[in-house]
Amino acid sequence: MADVEMRTESKDDDWVRIESNDGFSFLVRRRVANISGTIKNSLDTESGFSEAESKTYVAREYRGLIIQKLLEYMCFKAHYDKVGPKEEVPVNEFLERIPAEIVLELLLAADYQEM
Amino acid sequence: MSYNNVRGPTSALTEFLRDSGITATTIARRSATANRPAAGPSNTLEEADNVDANQEDGVQAARRRTRSSNRRSGYVSDELDDPASPTKKRKLSRSAEAKMKKKQGEKSKKDDKDDEDEDEDAYTALSRSMWSIAGSPSKPPVGNFDTCAKCQKQFTVSKYTVAADPGPGYLCHPCAKSSGNDPFKKPTVPKKCKPTVTKRVVNSEERLFPSLASLCIQIISRYIDDIEALGDIGTLNMEAISKAISKNRSLTSANAHLFYGPEITVLTLYDATKLTPDALSTLAHFNPNLTTLRLDFCGLLSDEVMSVWSKSLPNLVSLQLLGPFLVRPPAWINFFESHPQLECFKITQSPRFDVKCIETLITTSQKTLRALGLKEIGKISDEFLNCIKLLEGQLTYLDISEPSESCSEVAIIDMLSTVASTLTHLDLSNHTEVSDKVLQQGLQAYSNAITSLGLRNLPELTDAGVANFFNSWTSNPPLTFLDISRIHLLNKGALLAILAHSGSSLQELNINGWRDIDNEALEEIGKQARDLKKVDLGFCRGVDDFTVKSIIEGNKGGLQEVKVWGCNRVEGKWTVSGKQRHIRIYGIESH
Repeated sequence: MADVEMRTESKDDDWVRIESNDGFSFLVRRRVANISGTIKNSLDTESGFSEAESKTYVAREYRGLIIQKLLEYMCFKAHYDKVGPKEEVPVNEFLERIPAEIVLELLLAADYQEM
Repeated sequence: MSYNNVRGPTSALTEFLRDSGITATTIARRSATANRPAAGPSNTLEEADNVDANQEDGVQAARRRTRSSNRRSGYVSDELDDPASPTKKRKLSRSAEAKMKKKQGEKSKKDDKDDEDEDEDAYTALSRSMWSIAGSPSKPPVGNFDTCAKCQKQFTVSKYTVAADPGPGYLCHPCAKSSGNDPFKKPTVPKKCKPTVTKRVVNSEERLFPSLASLCIQIISRYIDDIEALGDIGTLNMEAISKAISKNRSLTSANAHLFYGPEITVLTLYDATKLTPDALSTLAHFNPNLTTLRLDFCGLLSDEVMSVWSKSLPNLVSLQLLGPFLVRPPAWINFFESHPQLECFKITQSPRFDVKCIETLITTSQKTLRALGLKEIGKISDEFLNCIKLLEGQLTYLDISEPSESCSEVAIIDMLSTVASTLTHLDLSNHTEVSDKVLQQGLQAYSNAITSLGLRNLPELTDAGVANFFNSWTSNPPLTFLDISRIHLLNKGALLAILAHSGSSLQELNINGWRDIDNEALEEIGKQARDLKKVDLGFCRGVDDFTVKSIIEGNKGGLQEVKVWGCNRVEGKWTVSGKQRHIRIYGIESH
């Protein structure tokens, strides 16, 4: 029974945890986390990885600030990806929110996270 | 209305009649209610009208006329009574009606407003048939003589005979023809003007959601003149950033500056496609202290850039280029003469690189050159090898693979006899003339340090020859890299000899295309080559799930990649015991 429950839940919007290397921990909807290909694969319930069982993705490479921006982009994309073609995606506003100091670090993280 | 214009001119009379409410429709209605076969003389006006309106369809008209006149001449007397009854009308002009329908269909697509016109058209056929009955009531039976209404000559009535216009009477054949009414003319096939499908230009703007990486690159480009704002770059891995930016052709003249600096000595750009000649020139100006430069996809590298590089980059010792197509021999020679200290020179795909270039390179850098890569150089020939011989005692890396024409065996053996003793990497791929002799007399005799060997697509090699070579190649340490793919005849003997010689240290093995090798021999890979990182078993028909499983299980844990393209017995149904490994298996067909 428990098994079945878990599966139906994982298809829906259950929460997953993403941890940074400096002790920050973020809870996001699985739907949002799945925007990153790397996180999606790690948390895939059929993969059998320990991450999937604990529903926790530990991003050892990144500090909290970077994770925060990654998640910000993921929420941004999750929100605007579905809007109709006429609605404008405020990309520029999002660009404004990325500080130049972290952009290289963020680029590497984004590359690794396939997004 | 436009439709009428197409079909022919309308006379003033027609216009007048139409204005006073007399159209073909009304005439037809009137005649239908009057219920009489032939109209009296009062009809002549309408006749003219109709003739005008329908001048074009002469043949059809003629046909109808003949038919109706037949009727009138009494062959089908019972039809005489009501020519306007609907069923008969249809009989009369079925073809015409079909035509009409077609036209109507086209028209309605074209323009829905012209409804009235359609009505008119629908009735033209009918009224015309009426007119021929009415206007020339006595078309003589076919075969009779008649007098032409125009030239007054006697002629024989045929079924093609056309009524005079205006009537009464009939025209002889020459007159009918000269009046522009060719009786034999096939009914003009309605022009297949394609219904101009109003191209519904759907504004399908495919919106790709910008990736975070692309957004970051945008920001980098924005701050490219103020690099300090991007934080301390030194702590980050520039090579990883270079790789990330090079994806999706994102590296441009604008953001390439990120990697430049006077302190930079090693520069690698993985996709220089978008770097213009100007950008490539500035690259040299901004990085004066470069010692190692690698550019992939540098298709825009031109003579001008090479001459700029010749004047700058004084410390450059290693140059690696992928795709410098445009550079001409004088530019190469100029560059080599200005850089006499090159240690590493590797180019791929340069159809203009000729023997003069290699001569200059080797004479100028003879004391220093250690690595030479001339891959996919179209002009490579025995003369090149003669030059390479001069690098005796220092050359460690030699790649002369993928020529357009194979060098001769004699020249290769001759070259190996002088340079092979120091080589650690050798690639002779696709020199199709190479046979077992080169292995025996060139490599076995002279080489003693090779760790990486490329022997792809050498069809002259035999199983026994390769087996013999590896069994007796004791002077050379085991290989770590071996590409001996696409040699179809190699088999068990060669593989076992390779594994016996190098199995203990092999990290990459490519035996793609050994089609006849069996499962049993392949399983030896798993037993003997346990340090493999990458293995390509593509198109080895003997490979099955057990082979792959044995390779994975026999491996010590470093295996990263197994390619099984074209191995159609592999189903991917093995289960591997032990710890989870990050192995990528490519090419399983059932997936």
